[in-house]
Amino acid sequence: MIELTLDDLRKIAQRTGLELADDELQRLLPGVNRSKRQVAELRALMEAESEPAATFNAADGK
Amino acid sequence: MLQTENRRPVNQNELCYLTITEAAAALRQKEYSPVELTGALLKRIESIDDKLHCFITLTAELALRQAKQAEQELRSGKDRGPLHGIPIAVKDLYMTNGIRTTCHSAVLENWVPNFTATTVAKLQDAGAILLGKLGMHEFAFGGPSVDAPFPAVRNPWNTAHIPGGSSSGSGAALAAGLCHGSLGSDTGGSIRTPSSHCGVVGIKPTYGRVSRHGVVPLSWSLDHAGPMARSVEDCAMILQTIAGYDAKDPAAADAAVPNFRGEIGHGIKGMRIGVPRVGWFDENLGVDPETEALFSRALQTLEELGATIVEIDGKPFSHARKANQTILVCEAYAYHEKRLQQAPEKFGSSVRRRMLEGAFLSAADYITAQRARAVLNEQIRANFTRVDVFATPSAPRPPEAFATMDPNEQNLRPSFTNPFNLTGLPAISVPCGFTHETLPVGLQIGARSFDETTAFRVAYAYEQATEWHKQRPVL
Repeated sequence: MIELTLDDLRKIAQRTGLELADDELQRLLPGVNRSKRQVAELRALMEAESEPAATFNAADGK
Repeated sequence: MLQTENRRPVNQNELCYLTITEAAAALRQKEYSPVELTGALLKRIESIDDKLHCFITLTAELALRQAKQAEQELRSGKDRGPLHGIPIAVKDLYMTNGIRTTCHSAVLENWVPNFTATTVAKLQDAGAILLGKLGMHEFAFGGPSVDAPFPAVRNPWNTAHIPGGSSSGSGAALAAGLCHGSLGSDTGGSIRTPSSHCGVVGIKPTYGRVSRHGVVPLSWSLDHAGPMARSVEDCAMILQTIAGYDAKDPAAADAAVPNFRGEIGHGIKGMRIGVPRVGWFDENLGVDPETEALFSRALQTLEELGATIVEIDGKPFSHARKANQTILVCEAYAYHEKRLQQAPEKFGSSVRRRMLEGAFLSAADYITAQRARAVLNEQIRANFTRVDVFATPSAPRPPEAFATMDPNEQNLRPSFTNPFNLTGLPAISVPCGFTHETLPVGLQIGARSFDETTAFRVAYAYEQATEWHKQRPVL
């Protein structure tokens, strides 16, 4: 997994319409990368055919 | 002392600590009235809540009005059921028509909704009396709020310690004898953790069992509404009142609501209790030794009551936290995105930091967590061919002191509550002892989907075999 950098966070924040100072982004960085590592660990658990738990039911449109 | 007509004298503080079962019986025996019960609680709140900060909004006038109505109805023979005339309080994310609902945040500091949450409406229809709205972790996320417009709730067992969250006030108010029952909400453990830390009982019902309509969301697919009380039976009584299908909640399940107290005293002889210890309890910093010792002693008690302990694989439970947290931060960010873009400074630092993490996770990350959710659900539920319920400590460590609290520490210990949000399975926390510092510890029992009845049965058997739930903090 490639870790995100402060510059990555800057770009994403800008794209998402968030005005965040560098010191706040710096504080967020460890948590974001920890979350990314967790997702990478989850990816390793799955088979190719695993579907998400959230599904659409055509019967009731939900 | 309170002396009422042809009734026994009652110590006011004892009155405040009656269980709902006891209070309901006494109201019907006319030992005292709903007005006297409500008055005693309001007086106690006035005298001690300035050091606990359980209540954000006290609805004293409304409570007394409702109490008078309950008194008249009961006198005239109109009995709405076991909660009629019982004073309760709700976490301040349950919307209440005409009463401000703050979510313990500056963002909603003066927000007054124009409708009432389905659950609160059901409680009021059942004749329960609303004492007020309770403090919490801001927007049910982050930690104790140190920079919110309302002070952080304190633990009645030791005010230097946290009460656990996010339903902090819901747990602390019960432990302090400031209400007879409360509502909390639970997205990753927010009912069970404060129940454990405050020495009370709380159940996160099955996902869909209780309506979330009118409960400010944190994470739609993980949020659960549920009751907290001072006894297992009281919890079952509140759940009985608030459970059931609600067309206004897209996640509500159209499932039959059983009598939750129907089998509560049937005992647990022959029951198989799965303990997912290996691959989970020892992750990172592991479980606090005192908590682990109290949990082991609780398992011994369950064995003495006739249950069999079965060790099962803890790895899927351990992975569940990763999926739960990923889904939670993504959904929480999505819900609050506009507010975070427009006025991030209105959020407290703790909740803002945690919510903003969701902005930096991708759609693929979220879908990966939802795919893992399906896989882990299958793995965890497969255990039900070998066991009837799961048992774990409710929290990996006793409540920390505010002064030494490390917000990152929770990621370094196993989360015993998260897997039950991810799977939607019901789970209850019941007191199972105290540390050497007299801080409460809880035992968690998880059960099959829509089988809260069995969770109540095990918790009740344990509760009745022990004295922990009868202990009171010195205030």
